[in-house]
Amino acid sequence: MPLSVDERWNLIEKISKQTVEFGARKHTLKDAIAELTVKPLTGIPVAIAVLYGIWSFFVDFAGTLFTDGFMVRLFDEHWLPFLQNAFHNNLDNWAYRLFIDAGHIENGVLVASDNCLEAFGVLTSGFFVPFGVVLWAVLAFYLMFALLEDVGYLPRLAVLVDTVLHKIGLHGYAIVPTFLSLGCNVPGVTATRALETRKQRFLMITLLSVFVPCGAQIGIMQDLVPELMGWIFLTLAIGYLGFGFILNKIVPGKSPEIIMDVPPYRMPMMKNIVSKLWVRTSRFLLVAVPFVLLGCLIVGLMYLTGAMDWLATVLGPFLMSWFGVPEETVSPLIAGFLRKDLAVGMLGGLMEQGIMTTFQVFTSVVLLCIYFPCLATFALMLKEENWKEFLGSIASLVAMVLVYGGLIHLVGIMLEVA
Amino acid sequence: MNELEEKFGQIYFAVLGAVALAFGAAELIASAGEGLTWGILDSSGAADPMFLPWRAIILLSVGFFYLSSVKNFAEIHQLAKAVLGSIMIWIVAGMAIWSRIASSIPGEETWFNSLEGFLASYAPPYCPEMFLLPFSLVIVYYILKEREEEAEGLSYRGKAR
Amino acid sequence: MKILLMGHPNVGKSVFFNRLTGAKVFESNYPGTTVDFTKGWMRFGGEDVELIDVPGAFSLEPKDRAEEVAVKMLEENRDSVVICVLDASKVERGLYLALEIIERGYPVVVALNMWDVAEDKNIRIDVEKLERILGVPVVPTIAISGEGFKELVSKIKEAAPVKIEKIIENAGGVESAAVSG
Repeated sequence: MPLSVDERWNLIEKISKQTVEFGARKHTLKDAIAELTVKPLTGIPVAIAVLYGIWSFFVDFAGTLFTDGFMVRLFDEHWLPFLQNAFHNNLDNWAYRLFIDAGHIENGVLVASDNCLEAFGVLTSGFFVPFGVVLWAVLAFYLMFALLEDVGYLPRLAVLVDTVLHKIGLHGYAIVPTFLSLGCNVPGVTATRALETRKQRFLMITLLSVFVPCGAQIGIMQDLVPELMGWIFLTLAIGYLGFGFILNKIVPGKSPEIIMDVPPYRMPMMKNIVSKLWVRTSRFLLVAVPFVLLGCLIVGLMYLTGAMDWLATVLGPFLMSWFGVPEETVSPLIAGFLRKDLAVGMLGGLMEQGIMTTFQVFTSVVLLCIYFPCLATFALMLKEENWKEFLGSIASLVAMVLVYGGLIHLVGIMLEVA
Repeated sequence: MNELEEKFGQIYFAVLGAVALAFGAAELIASAGEGLTWGILDSSGAADPMFLPWRAIILLSVGFFYLSSVKNFAEIHQLAKAVLGSIMIWIVAGMAIWSRIASSIPGEETWFNSLEGFLASYAPPYCPEMFLLPFSLVIVYYILKEREEEAEGLSYRGKAR
Repeated sequence: MKILLMGHPNVGKSVFFNRLTGAKVFESNYPGTTVDFTKGWMRFGGEDVELIDVPGAFSLEPKDRAEEVAVKMLEENRDSVVICVLDASKVERGLYLALEIIERGYPVVVALNMWDVAEDKNIRIDVEKLERILGVPVVPTIAISGEGFKELVSKIKEAAPVKIEKIIENAGGVESAAVSG
């Protein structure tokens, strides 16, 4: 005899009456703090402090200490010169240009590079990007994330942003996939499975893959254009909320309330954090490194065969007129299909050669963020969505890039910085 | 906490709250201009000017948290405000210290910093939050006190079998 | 024989899984960490038994993808013992899921997890009485510190299917739907 819902609750009430006793409940200090962190008036300042903490830890750990402190020296002053000397600066040899130093044109002459971003060889940039920059950024991010998770702060942040996110058809819980995506979009997209309706999942996956830069990308952006980071995040956040709002209006379906429990605050445990950090970082490296190396190889080959120049001539005018970025950005955009961090690194190379204005750098960095999810995320989207949703995601992606990219250019023209 | 402890807490955090407000206001003014350095007090946000306005907002909130906790300080929800204020100072000051640690280890021309260079990284001026840090630690006494009372106050403490 | 680990989101199933198998599933202090099921092996009665960490579900009438997976897992493994992990501080809600599983004829062991949180909230549960009414083993646990696990594992073999009518009888009857309205 299967019970009806009412009968089952009725039975439970009977059982609990006989077995459970609720003592007088006194509020503890922990409860009082928990309450304060979800009330907007007190919760928002706390959230600002927490985010400030995460960001400044990230900048100092990844940027100041590891990348600028040790890795740049290691790669630019030791690794690159070592390889260049060992192979006699042989810029005429195609294999040398592919694996060690592609060189660049200065006053009409092909000259050797003096840093690992410009060199663009598989063995130079291909290793500098993942191990010199990205690894430390991802490590710093995952450390902060694990701490927030284990303390129990994340669900509270979700409650705080709930009202705002409801306006774009999402629930406060969306903060969890969004945060995860700031490390790497792949686990972020996976985490959307906890959302209730297909509409919510579709919205979330599309927004994540377009507007949330991953830790690898953030790390290398912070390394190259630290002064622009505020503007970049602001632009992306506006895009995330704005397009979320629009998509919510267009896409059919419901986005119901999700009942979420807010767990008690807890002391984080060292062992748990270390193991999470290890698993997440090593998984990340397994996905990222092969793609970075492959990306270097493909872009290098496209240069050597002249395919890149051809693409630059074909797409250049469009890029220049619509987005206001020079034709040289074609190559980072191609590399971006494989890895965003690598692509931003290539932009860095272009910047050092001084062929872009600050606004063009800004536009192309934002474009790189939004124009296409990296290959790994793309593959996951294929798996997670049915073909209709997938086509929808791709269509909205293209629309968003064209509209938003053009809009940024337009704003630039109006502010007279473009 | 007993009456004396409550009275002391009220006066102490009222003063600390006022100081935090003053520092916060100074940071806000500094962030609008070029930043201020006054003696051993540094509000220049030298590392990253983007951070300064946010720090000002945080510090002002800390001031408000402390001040609003003063009335009926022994009550748990009031005490919690002071605790949160201190935690926020710990976050910002902790990161300021971490920033110095991070930049003190690698050297300018060599792999590792010289001893003098290392120590010089820790010399003043300090940001306002670092000055507030030691004073904010007083809250730990009250937290421990409260936890003690909570442990005694519970009518039932069993163990999982 | 297989063992399924079921319960609401965020009651510590993943910690259970780690403790029982020595595997590394993330344990996070927010709901919905496990969205795919995870398999592992645990030593039980001298042999290796498969343990499946089922995504968190509030009931067996699926409302999201994770719950769909949960129901499917349950249906595909008819011969398993279910360890139903409950949040001891919210027993009623957890019992709903536990009863649903029992009704479907699975042998169940109930773990009253987060026993420490329940204590903090001053909630007392008469474990022996609950065991008598349900007719299945009930074990208080604190997954984070590992308390109660030895007992939990030793009770798995005592798990047997229970008729829901028996539980109703033990609880002192239940008003039928018609009466309760």
